[in-house]
Amino acid sequence: MDYGKWPATIFRKHNGVLRLIQRSGRWLFHRADALFNRAFGERLNPLYYLGATAYWLLWVVVATGIYLYIFFRTGVEEAYASVEYLTVEQWWLGGVMRSVHRYASDAMVLAMGLHLTRHFVFDSYRSFRWFSWVSGVILLWLTYASGINGYMLPWDRMAQFVVIATAEWFDALPVFQGTLIRNFIAEGAVNDRLWSLLSFIHIGLPLALLAVLWIHTQRVPHANTNPPRPIAASVIVALVVLALARPVTSQGGPADLSAAITTIDLDWFYLAAYALIYRWTPGEVWWLVGGATALFLLAPWLPPKRVRREGFHMLVHPDNRIIPVREGERLLDAALREEIPVPFDCRNGGCGECKGSLLYGRVDYGDYQDTALTGEERRNGKLLLCCATPLSDLEIEYEPEEMPGGAPVRIYTARVAAMKRLTHDVMQLILKVEGDEVPFFYAGQYLNVLLPDGQKRSFSFATAPHQRDHIELQVRWIPGGLFTTHVFTGMKEGDLVRFEGPLGSFFLREDSEKPIIFVAGATGFAPVKSMVEHAFHVGLKRRMYLYWGARSLRDLYAADLPRGWEREHENFRFVPVLSEPKPEDNWTGRTGLVHEAILADFADLSGHQIYACGSVGMVQAAHPAFMAHGMSEHDCFSDAFVLAPRIRTVTADMVRLGGRP
Amino acid sequence: MNTIARYAIQGVLYAAFAAFVGYFSSAPTYRHIEPDEALLRLSFSHAGERKQPCRTRTPEELAKLPPNMRAPLDCPRERADVTVELELDGKLIHRVVAPPTGLARDGASTVYRRVVVAAGRHQVRVRLSDNPQGVFNYTAERSVDLGAGRVLLIDFNAAAGGFVFRM
Repeated sequence: MDYGKWPATIFRKHNGVLRLIQRSGRWLFHRADALFNRAFGERLNPLYYLGATAYWLLWVVVATGIYLYIFFRTGVEEAYASVEYLTVEQWWLGGVMRSVHRYASDAMVLAMGLHLTRHFVFDSYRSFRWFSWVSGVILLWLTYASGINGYMLPWDRMAQFVVIATAEWFDALPVFQGTLIRNFIAEGAVNDRLWSLLSFIHIGLPLALLAVLWIHTQRVPHANTNPPRPIAASVIVALVVLALARPVTSQGGPADLSAAITTIDLDWFYLAAYALIYRWTPGEVWWLVGGATALFLLAPWLPPKRVRREGFHMLVHPDNRIIPVREGERLLDAALREEIPVPFDCRNGGCGECKGSLLYGRVDYGDYQDTALTGEERRNGKLLLCCATPLSDLEIEYEPEEMPGGAPVRIYTARVAAMKRLTHDVMQLILKVEGDEVPFFYAGQYLNVLLPDGQKRSFSFATAPHQRDHIELQVRWIPGGLFTTHVFTGMKEGDLVRFEGPLGSFFLREDSEKPIIFVAGATGFAPVKSMVEHAFHVGLKRRMYLYWGARSLRDLYAADLPRGWEREHENFRFVPVLSEPKPEDNWTGRTGLVHEAILADFADLSGHQIYACGSVGMVQAAHPAFMAHGMSEHDCFSDAFVLAPRIRTVTADMVRLGGRP
Repeated sequence: MNTIARYAIQGVLYAAFAAFVGYFSSAPTYRHIEPDEALLRLSFSHAGERKQPCRTRTPEELAKLPPNMRAPLDCPRERADVTVELELDGKLIHRVVAPPTGLARDGASTVYRRVVVAAGRHQVRVRLSDNPQGVFNYTAERSVDLGAGRVLLIDFNAAAGGFVFRM
């Protein structure tokens, strides 16, 4: 026998068993999801909100626990008596609170267990998801510790069983060896201070639980920590009805350490392992619990291992941004991580809210309900962003509901009211929107011109939002470009243009007092013009600097405008920078790269906000240099645009490059 | 599916959820020990004798020590194991050798054993050795009538004369 092959054989078997378990689990969840969808609809299916429901139940437990704590007395005699008062004398509120406290705790374990199982069978615990998985395992421990500790407080026969079983279980550890049980060995061994300790633990552990829960959800972009209100309300109603139908009571009277526990109505959600302590040995239960915990903690790194790749890039329309997508990452998570406002709801392939179009590339479509994405839709290039994972670089499009600030995205028709060539390759387009419905937008946002064949081209609003009678676009001619060539060769005044907007999360932040540095490259001046004119209109007093970089003088196609602003506004300064001035320009101003001019003027950028609009090359060169000069990541906003041949050479669209805008 | 039917099914599913939680929150009943059984617990924490007796230091030895450490007696810290044997109705059911705790093995030895026994009268004999020689210097024997579900605790308190039986 070749013993060297054993590990490989074992791993292959392990992989086979694991895949079988996961396949079976997915089959079960899909059947249950489908069944629940028929009853609840896709938006209110509780199985899609297991984690959020567990979160909600914790709040219920905390709220009811606070009420119970008001009446709870910490003492050998008082503990039992105070809980009995709540249960019997004040059954109509205190009793209900006690019951809901208990049942919500149990339901929380149930929801957490299902939540964990769901992520396990859908293989959502490996790679970058290890953090949420491992913190989830810690949460399980904290939940159990909190719950078991809670059973000690009423000091009834159940409490007696729990404290003795806990002590006997821990005494199996070499460090204790029978010392803990001495605290509960006989009547008189327990005193009032025990309840001070237990109460302290029963407050401290849930606080730790909340803290870890917060950490647990940090790595999940836009984690849903609240279930939809109908689900939250229904869960509460169910628990209250249960509390009234089967109120929780103390078991067997007050604890009596001289009498053994014979039978007990065990809470199997929390105390199943405690029954095992006496069927097996305490040591064996430690091996089971410790082994299971270790297995859970190591699960993300156990075979089968994925082939590690660097990940992919995804061009997202209509934002026209290129963002990174990690291998195995769901496209929705990648988009939300980058603050792209993709609509979503259940995140489990049930509601179809996150449906988008795959324009380029290959994906693993993942598991979803057929009602959420039909076969025909999939053949037509649709996919569910919450389920699909990338197999190559991608180009996708989604239907935005609204952009930052709640500005609704709509399709408009406009007529070309005026055209003016600003320089040899930049055309000013003045558009009159049909019905005079100029969209409400934020200074810095852009629109997509919709071409007859379905393609889109992005242009920033060059007008400020308060200018309600027209829209100005500044179109730079791209040799070979479909739309820009048409603008320069075929378009005439009176033509109709369809566009969608407003789009983009690059806009002027007015909630800061820091001086602003605008960095514009070529037609990157257009959104800057919108922002500066808006700033003047609203009376922004912050110091503003505009560094406009171009190759030669003729590329500064509207330099008189910022020069005029400089004359009229004390808080505005304009610095044109040419990188390749021609002799006939007779240029005596700043030369070089535009960001280098800024660095020469500002040794420390930590007290400034920077808005960079231009080519990706400009932004990519400027960003690290700005960072090295103290610029805060939170104070840098970029609107880089570039041709995207790598993603989709045919469309040669204008896109914004990755990162938070 | 019409609206009323959907709400009805939702109600049924939430009721099933509540029933599941309500049932397993306190059922099935766990039988810890049988109704005709009782519990015998042996538990104590007791420090054995020192392995070596204290010795009086000679004046020369004292003179070599720093002034603040000139204790007249030199007492090695290590203690003897505590050995305890528990016999029930003439049968040895536990023999425990409990080492002293602590890095210097100078702490108390702790023993805990839990025995489920049939309810009724039992002859209990227990003996303990806490000396380096292993001589059982404490012995106790009782005939106890253990009612169903009762607990007999066998503790040890050297100051009180040895084993303490509590029911």
